[in-house]
Amino acid sequence: MILLEGLSNGIASVWVLARIVIPLMVVLEIARANRWLERINRWVHPPFRMLGLSEEGAFPVLVAVIFGLLFGSGLIIANYREGRLSCVEVQTMGGFMAICHALFEDTLIFAVLGIPLWLLVVPRTVVAILVSLVIYRVAVKCFLVPAVE
Amino acid sequence: MEVSWEIVLRGLRKGIATTLELAKVIVPTAIVIRLLQAGGLMQWLAEATAPFMGWLGLPGEAAVVLFSGYFINLYAAIGAMLTLSLEMREMTIIAVMLGFCHSIIAETAISKKAGAAVSLVLPLRVGTSLAAGLVLGGLL
Repeated sequence: MILLEGLSNGIASVWVLARIVIPLMVVLEIARANRWLERINRWVHPPFRMLGLSEEGAFPVLVAVIFGLLFGSGLIIANYREGRLSCVEVQTMGGFMAICHALFEDTLIFAVLGIPLWLLVVPRTVVAILVSLVIYRVAVKCFLVPAVE
Repeated sequence: MEVSWEIVLRGLRKGIATTLELAKVIVPTAIVIRLLQAGGLMQWLAEATAPFMGWLGLPGEAAVVLFSGYFINLYAAIGAMLTLSLEMREMTIIAVMLGFCHSIIAETAISKKAGAAVSLVLPLRVGTSLAAGLVLGGLL
């Protein structure tokens, strides 16, 4: 009985996810074919460059920060197979996204209780930046990974 | 603007593949989480760790809220929080701690699926969450 409840919870979440991810991937594929994605990436890239993220790597992180870990990870899963992201970059992105994601949803849940907004947003963002900086620097120093241009 | 069936089909295929890939994580974790809830493991953990909540500036009963957030999700944590009468200061500490680390089972599995190392992501989230609690517990 409990197993079935868990199963139905899981399937319900997958259904919600499918209705967002499938149209999203179609839109992204159209954007890629028309080179809009490159333009968006170039615009999004600068603040993420010092964290060692390429133009392809910055976009999933931004999606995770705004929409949630699941969607950012979905983009990485779709892209990683195509070999667009390096291994170090995936760890840097993973570190950032694990700490700082769904900044709107996660913050609003607690903000309605009257908890100060800045305390919900600033620490996560600052720590995520520091953590990915460390992962990137350590990778460049210790594993002799080439730095991002 | 260039739109062709080929492009749309490629997007559909990618969308379905990604959804299936994520489903492989989401469905099993949903079952595990439901079992955890029913099995009373969280209650046991909350009782075992209650004496240490003072380090985080929290009353012992707040442990249930933290574990609900860590193992299930933020909505479960809020549900648990509303059954207690916590002060704003305590709710703030819990909220910041849970911001760093929540839904561990589901989100760690998703991170792993996206290529991140569990040995990196998991200690990072638990560590930053506990550090936030220690710092805020001392400051607030």
